[in-house]
Formats: sequence, structure tokens, C-alpha cells
Amino acid sequence: MRTSSLIAWTVWKALFLREAVARLSAKRAAWLWLLLEPVVHLVFLIVLFGFVLQKLVSNIDMGLFITTGLLGFGLARNTAMRIKDAITANDTLLTYRQVLPVDTVLVRAALEALLFTVTALCLFTGLGLLEYQVFPHNFLQVMLGFTALWLAGIGLGLILSVASQLIPESGKVGGMLLTPMYFLSGVMYPPSVIPPAYQSWFLVNPFVHGIETVRTGFFPQYHTIPGVSMGYLLGFVIFTVCLGLALHVRFATRLVAK
Amino acid sequence: MIIVEDVYKRYRSEHGMGKWVLQGVSITIPPKVNVGLVGRNGAGKSTLLRLIGGIDVPTRGRVERRCSVSWPMGFGGGLAASLTGRQNAKFVCRIHGHDDDLQDRLRYIEDFAELGESFDEPIKTYSSGMKSRLQFGLSLAFDFDVYISDEITATGDAAFKDKAAAAFKSLSDRAGLIMVSHGEGTLKEFCKAGILLHEGRAYWFDSINEALTEYKKGLSR
Repeated sequence: MRTSSLIAWTVWKALFLREAVARLSAKRAAWLWLLLEPVVHLVFLIVLFGFVLQKLVSNIDMGLFITTGLLGFGLARNTAMRIKDAITANDTLLTYRQVLPVDTVLVRAALEALLFTVTALCLFTGLGLLEYQVFPHNFLQVMLGFTALWLAGIGLGLILSVASQLIPESGKVGGMLLTPMYFLSGVMYPPSVIPPAYQSWFLVNPFVHGIETVRTGFFPQYHTIPGVSMGYLLGFVIFTVCLGLALHVRFATRLVAK
Repeated sequence: MIIVEDVYKRYRSEHGMGKWVLQGVSITIPPKVNVGLVGRNGAGKSTLLRLIGGIDVPTRGRVERRCSVSWPMGFGGGLAASLTGRQNAKFVCRIHGHDDDLQDRLRYIEDFAELGESFDEPIKTYSSGMKSRLQFGLSLAFDFDVYISDEITATGDAAFKDKAAAAFKSLSDRAGLIMVSHGEGTLKEFCKAGILLHEGRAYWFDSINEALTEYKKGLSR
């Protein structure tokens, strides 16, 4: 007899390999698009906002400024969105009793982290070859910021994955809300351009705290706005992850039942 | 032994709860007995199989499996459409904890399914008969006490039906079989006992012939 933890471990391994193969080989040159998408996005933003940005953050290279914002926000959003659809996408595999809905969700989160790491390394290597200063001055803080953003994506995704199974419309609404967050997270502008009167509202968005943490860790001369706090983001992470996991436990039978 | 205790089942639709499919089904299936499920279309045969196989849960009541039970074979369930037959087979081997003898199991599945080069093609290119072959090979690659078959032979060609028949026969010494089939011949060939599903209730018959007779009586009434 295999123990429960051993079964869970083998299921995770098998699901991970399955997801990775499906993700990287489903479409023609799928791996290339994974890399090309952020690069195109980056070039696009630099062309559009480059001149304005250079005035706003004069002491920092705007290419790297946008890269950090784009990577940080993309990590949180992609993780949340991929996880949201994990149960539906793996519906056929729930035929096997040992595969639980929460397994598919957690495995997608792990795969997202791996793909992000590879993409980020490629991107920074590329920028380094173009003689950008790609080594962060506080590596640990950058890692901490990215990890917290990833966890925030997991927390949101966990909640949305259950919600979209119970009420299909809620998944759509959740996805719709994540799009404007892109403009409200300071990806292509520094939060200091927000008038001080509105900064406290701006800081309600947990992603801002993660992205700004990454930036202050990256650029020694970067000054963010007061009120940016890692504690706020970590509080958000703990709340959403606990709530998401609790929902998965509470609705375990509902998620399996047709 | 599988115990189904006072099981009620209805499905959730976008417009609220559907009508009751099973209403108070209580059945005990003893070990190593081949059982055939009979009933009209929509009587709840596949539903009962899914509940026994544990891939769905009853609305009320309980299902207890005191032995290892396969997943329901049939209708292409459990195969990821975008992956190849081999990748699906690997996945199933892995979740059953067969990382060590993966290659042996794969060879067995490949030989049994006889899909040729299609084994390395995505499942979405398969015909329903090819899916049946793969699913059947997959579940035979593992030792279960009870195998569940939902019309697995219905879509196969003559050669596959013979092969399935031989496999079912060899299984019957060591394992039980619970099957749904609309072929009377198939049921009589493989099953000893029978369960008749009628208006949400289940009736047990020690002989499949009795179950079939009763089923036909219900039809002519």
C-alpha cells in the first residue's frame, strides 16, 4: 500500500511533466512564444513610453525599469490566470481518483514559477549582452519581491479556481479585473507620478508593493513612494492563500461532483 | 467487495438541479463476481459506474470500496486530447506509482492496444475504437480487484472484440468485472450476476439471464 503523501507526490510529478509537455509542445514553437511575448511587449513599451519615462526616472535606465515592472506583474497575473483554469483544463484527468482538483492548481503554479525563471534569466542575459547593468544591488530583496508576487498570484488563482467552478461568471469577472490592474500597478510609470493625495488609494493594490520592492532591490538610487511595504503584500498573500486552500477543502466534493 | 448504500444522485445543470437519476440504490457487490448492468437509456447505468469508480460523488448516501477498483473504461475518459497515446500512458503509469517499471508497462500497453504509429500521435486524432483500445490496455496494465467497463467493446472492431473477450476471460479468475453493455451476447458471455436499473432503483439478480428476462418484461409492459 502506498501512503497518501507518496500518492500525492507521484501525482504532482506526473501532472507537472504532463503540463510541461502540453505547454511547450502543444503549438508550433510554443517555447519560443513564451520568450518572445515579454520581449515584444517590452520593446513596445519602450518605444511608446521611453521618452516620457526617461524624464520621470532620470537616474535609472528605463529599459530595466519597465522590465522589472513587466516581469513582476506578469508573474502574478499569469500565475493567477493559468491557475484559474487549471481544474477545467484537467477535467479528463479527474477520471483517476488519485488526482484531486487542488493538485492540478498547485502543479500549474510550480510550472509557472519555472517558466518565469527561465524567461527572466533569458531576458536579463539578453539585456546584459546589450550592456545594460543587469546585476541587482540587493539580490535577496529582488527574489523576495518576485516570490511574494508569485504567491499573491497563487492566492488569487486558488480563490478564482474554486469560484469559477461554483459560479462560472465569477471567473470571467476575476479575469476582467486583472486587466486594469496592469495599468494601476505602476508597470510603465513610477508611483511617484501619482499625486500624494491619491497615493494611499494607489497603494491598496498589493501588486504595487511587490513591484516596488523588486525595483528598490534592483536599483540602489531608486526612490519609491512612502507606504510601500512588503508586510502589506505578505499579509495579502497569507490571507488569499489560506482562503483559497480553505475553499478547496470546503468545496472538495462540489469540485468533483458533476 | 463494494457496498453502495442508499445512494441518491442528481446532476447539477446551469438551471439548478436536474431530476433524480438514482433514488435510493442499495447494492452489495461481492468480490470476484462479474456483474452486468442492464436498463434503458438514461436509467443511470453510467452514473452508477461513475459513482462506483469514485470519479463522481453521490448527492446522498455512500459508496464504500473495500478493494482496488479501476477507473471506468470507455467513452475516451481519462485521456488528455492534446497529448499522444504514449504520453497519456506514461502519465497513468506514473500516478499509479510505476516509475521504476515504466518501460515494461508501456510496452505492454503498446502491444495490447496495437495502435502502431498512432501510439505517438495526439489522442484528438484517434477514432473512438482506437481510444477504446488504448483505454482497455491502460487499465489492464495494472492489477485491480475490480475492473469497470462502460461499453468498452462497443466501438471496437471484430479483432479487438476477440482480444477483449480473451482478456476479460483471463481476468475473471483473479478479479471481478462490472460492465455496462447493450449487447445481450456480451453480457451473457462475461457476466454471472446482473443488476437491473429501473426508475432510479437497482435490483440484484444472481443470474444475468434473470436480469435480462426481467428487463425485457419491463420493456414490453
